[in-house]
Amino acid sequence: MSGTKPDILWAPHQVDRFVVCDSELSLYHVESTVNSELKAGSLRLSEDSAATLLSINSDTPYMKCVAWYLNYDPECLLAVGQANGRVVLTSLGQDHNSKFKDLIGKEFVPKHARQCNTLAWNPLDSNWLAAGLDKHRADFSVLIWDICSKYTPDIVPMEKVKLSAGETETTLLVTKPLYELGQNDACLSLCWLPRDQKLLLAGMHRNLAIFDLRNTSQKMFVNTKAVQGVTVDPYFHDRVASFYEGQVAIWDLRKFEKPVLTLTEQPKPLTKVAWCPTRTGLLATLTRDSNIIRLYDMQHTPTPIGDETEPTIIERSVQPCDNYIASFAWHPTSQNRMIVVTPNRTMSDFTVFERISLAWSPITSLMWACGRHLYECTEEENDNSLEKDIATKMRLRALSRYGLDTEQVWRNHILAGNEDPQLKSLWYTLHFMKQYTEDMDQKSPGNKGSLVYAGIKSIVKSSLGMVESSRHNWSGLDKQSDIQNLNEERILALQLCGWIKKGMDVDVGPFLNSLVQEGEWERAAAVALFNLDIRRAIQILNEGASSEKGDLNLNVVAMALSGYTDEKNSLWREMCSTLRLQLNNPYLCVMFAFLTSETGSYDGVLYENKVAVRDRVAFACKFLSDTQLNRYIEKLTNEMKEAGNLEGILLTGLTKDGVDLMESYVDRTGDVQTASYCMLQGSPLDVLKDERVQYWIENYRNLLDAWRFWHKRAEFDIHRSKLDPSSKPLAQVFVSCNFCGKSISYSCSTVPHQGRGFSQYGVSGSPTKSKVTSCPGCRKPLPRCALCLINMGTPVSSCPGGTKSDEKVDLSKDKKLAQFNNWFTWCHNCRHGGHAGHMLSWFRDHAECPVSACTCKCMQLDTTGNLVPAEAVQP
Amino acid sequence: SSDQSVKVWDKSESGDWHCTASWKTHSGSVWRVTWAHPEFGQVLASCSFDRTAAVWEEIVGESNDKLRGQSHWVKRTTLVDSRTSVTDVKFAPKHMGLMLATCSADGIVRIYEAPDVMNLSQWSLQHEISCKLSCSCISWNPSSSRAHSPMIAVGSDDSSPNAMAKVQIFEYNENTRKYAKAETLMTVTDPVHDIAFAPNLGRSFHILAIATKDVRIFTLKPVRKELTSSGGPTKFEIHIVAQFDHHNSQVWRVSWNITGTVLASSGDDGCVRLWKANYMDNWKCTGILKGNGSPVNGSSQQGNSNPSLGSNIPSLQNSLNGSSAGRKHS
Repeated sequence: MSGTKPDILWAPHQVDRFVVCDSELSLYHVESTVNSELKAGSLRLSEDSAATLLSINSDTPYMKCVAWYLNYDPECLLAVGQANGRVVLTSLGQDHNSKFKDLIGKEFVPKHARQCNTLAWNPLDSNWLAAGLDKHRADFSVLIWDICSKYTPDIVPMEKVKLSAGETETTLLVTKPLYELGQNDACLSLCWLPRDQKLLLAGMHRNLAIFDLRNTSQKMFVNTKAVQGVTVDPYFHDRVASFYEGQVAIWDLRKFEKPVLTLTEQPKPLTKVAWCPTRTGLLATLTRDSNIIRLYDMQHTPTPIGDETEPTIIERSVQPCDNYIASFAWHPTSQNRMIVVTPNRTMSDFTVFERISLAWSPITSLMWACGRHLYECTEEENDNSLEKDIATKMRLRALSRYGLDTEQVWRNHILAGNEDPQLKSLWYTLHFMKQYTEDMDQKSPGNKGSLVYAGIKSIVKSSLGMVESSRHNWSGLDKQSDIQNLNEERILALQLCGWIKKGMDVDVGPFLNSLVQEGEWERAAAVALFNLDIRRAIQILNEGASSEKGDLNLNVVAMALSGYTDEKNSLWREMCSTLRLQLNNPYLCVMFAFLTSETGSYDGVLYENKVAVRDRVAFACKFLSDTQLNRYIEKLTNEMKEAGNLEGILLTGLTKDGVDLMESYVDRTGDVQTASYCMLQGSPLDVLKDERVQYWIENYRNLLDAWRFWHKRAEFDIHRSKLDPSSKPLAQVFVSCNFCGKSISYSCSTVPHQGRGFSQYGVSGSPTKSKVTSCPGCRKPLPRCALCLINMGTPVSSCPGGTKSDEKVDLSKDKKLAQFNNWFTWCHNCRHGGHAGHMLSWFRDHAECPVSACTCKCMQLDTTGNLVPAEAVQP
Repeated sequence: SSDQSVKVWDKSESGDWHCTASWKTHSGSVWRVTWAHPEFGQVLASCSFDRTAAVWEEIVGESNDKLRGQSHWVKRTTLVDSRTSVTDVKFAPKHMGLMLATCSADGIVRIYEAPDVMNLSQWSLQHEISCKLSCSCISWNPSSSRAHSPMIAVGSDDSSPNAMAKVQIFEYNENTRKYAKAETLMTVTDPVHDIAFAPNLGRSFHILAIATKDVRIFTLKPVRKELTSSGGPTKFEIHIVAQFDHHNSQVWRVSWNITGTVLASSGDDGCVRLWKANYMDNWKCTGILKGNGSPVNGSSQQGNSNPSLGSNIPSLQNSLNGSSAGRKHS
């Protein structure tokens, strides 16, 4: 190698060592730096590896090529081809007692001095070393040396030429090669063919030649210019690559006449071509003055179907570093790992990544294939569940029976994890709506009930122009404010907002108490203030400040409140309206906004977005006139719809507007679970029939199925059919009598559902007819269970073979016949079956049908039959 | 995988994965495999460089394979219509029945249907769509809403320098009973390696992820029908919502989670990246993993769900093209 262009080589056996050679040989040791700091003096190769220089050998000047001894040697035995054609064995080890000691320093000298171009160790006979030399008249250019050949003159005639006196003792010269080949030619590249120990492929001056050492007079050759860098594919021994200028030729030795294919010509001449040793058909090429390594993936060579098929190649390029690359070397064993060296000897270690293909499982774990490994990655159990993906959240919520608490509706937000204020608001709204609908229905079975679920917007609309305002006294203060007379509708609205409880009592006291209990002092104080009870508000704030979790600053706020004065131009008013903007808590902020506002303009309260919608709406119901209120509600509704804010359900109710709102919520979050349950809470049928609602429900059911939550899905379906009877699935299986063909349950109003479904566990219509063991149509007996041999229709006895009195059957008939154990079940393949309970216990231990002489493997026919619903395996 | 075989892994109840089947499927590299909806049984489709696509079904009962922990897969059909390498194969969403779309390097998308779901050996070629560009990937729109007609997106890896749009979207027209081009994403002009519609999950719009020289996420919002002339193809408002060049190289695969809220992508840099949108619809990287499963230094700057590595399974599989699929029972 010339001094400016270093080459690089991995040790064939010591996988953590490599050699860089330019004017001298430097041995490096590679270490992983994943768990340790970079050591002093070592060079960083990549993010997680570094190299340490072990030794430098500068014994061999004029190096042209280097080859690493292929057998394991701790001493790093290398053959160096020199510019004068000599091949020197040298070592980078420090230990001089090794068995190779006598080899080190051995020199193999050709007859005429000329440049040595290439060296190749025989992969099978590790002592054979082939050297390719330049042309020298009629001399041979390929010399094969046996490194163990004795230098003693009695075996091989030996000359000692051009020896300096000092070297005589140490240098051992061999001049008689084992074989001499390629007369009158030059050899540019060499490689041994792994097919046979004695086959050598050489890139000669104008041809590629295969020499057979068994018969040295013969050679196979093909004329070509592509004679440089011959190299055999380690995985496909008949495939050889060579190059010339910018062109790579791929040869098939079985069809040696012409290249199987030539790779796209590069504008610059190539300098190195190498097959990847760890992966089939991957060829790396490097051109001069370039910082990318081009990779050709050739393993897709198909079996030729037609003659015209040409193997296709996938081309990739990698850029391991920013500088030009002088040389590279594949790691012999690490997958697709390679090290590159630049002309100024900076090195970098990198891996050519395989394309990673990936797939998600329904339970939020990600699987991918990288190289030869499959990896699975799951979402970390994160305490901060706010950051969990909605998929995980919905799965956990489904497990905690979210949405299914139809009595205490508000509890659903706790089932959802009690972390999302919007969900909390939504379920409270739905809770109040349900409560007051029931109230209404009891009081007057008119059409008010539907109004409740229609939301405050419709409630307010219906009461247009019926309210007069009146002045009310502030309690504890000598002040009066305009407050709207509360008519029935406004009371209802306030009730829905949660400010006042059931009944005609308009006292907010209980609500304040519950807020205080939950530690929401600021909110409680604000609500008290809005109900014109400033004394109570101050009291609440004091309470909050003195409680354990409370904020001491609340005392300060209380103090400020108590200083309230009605005067328009007072200092208090001025300071409060500026300082209130600095308050962090929105409720404290609106309290002062309310106190400092002009009568009739409450924008500071109404448009404070951080205050819960229900409080703002309640405030509006109390203080705004009908037209104002309507305008405000309208505006707020549109705002909520736009944002998909679930608090807005309070306004829209479960109407078309609500569906619009929910649509933007789903668009934003993908939470079809909440959408489905919310809409199933009490929407009128025409809303339920909305395409979008149906679509959410459908999607949620699919999700549950994909999670294998089959029982949850069934629960959901039951829940759904309560509200929407038309969604009840049609009976999928009917049991009909063998004799008369009539359904034994007489409920044949629908057509059997087609499909494979889960019909193995097919259920019958309930056979609750007068005589249970016979067909109600023709009175013929029903078939017998294959296990207990009793006619179907009889309940399962706990002890097989035992009989039960008829009396007992009659008594328990109604209850027992509906139980799953008594149901009909049968295999779709062999048509044998019996009581479901018996069948289940049979197939727990058996794979074959219980009927003797039937070899049907009923249970294995349905692969999903072996699966456990995922709820069962959940912790 | 590129060794021409397909492997099936089953997860046992204890959470371990076992390779329950491995068999040679094609005479060329297998580009992709895909599962049919479990409603149709345990059915796989594979496509290969050998110009064919094949449908496989697991059969049970005839031998005691189960006892050895192995399952038996039989080839039900070979689809040989393509004259060139079949680059992708996807089953249609289940509400459309048992349908299969393939695309091939000659630029033709073929849609097959098995009219009888019990007989998987009969597939009839229903549609041939010519894309004029070498196709690399297809994706069905998973939406089952009646408001959305069947739709398929096709990506091309044509690397010729002319800057043509590489993503086309075709939509089924009820009236003509044909697929017609609905949209072309003009902004995507680099070779596309993978394309994926997100699970729709009741959204009013569709999300499409594209793997090209970077990761791109588009939303397609159908313009309401009454505004468009009826019968014509649906018009879409198309917005690019995210574009990430964090891989700093070609992106090979994109994949959505079950809700379409997290996107995983893999690129030539050997990393798997996770993307997630916040409530403001801003997409952000929430996790980076190297191909060998180790976390990338400094990937926790987002601090969100840093995924932990569950398990890794060494396999002898030589999967460059990475057509591996775990079995999921849904």
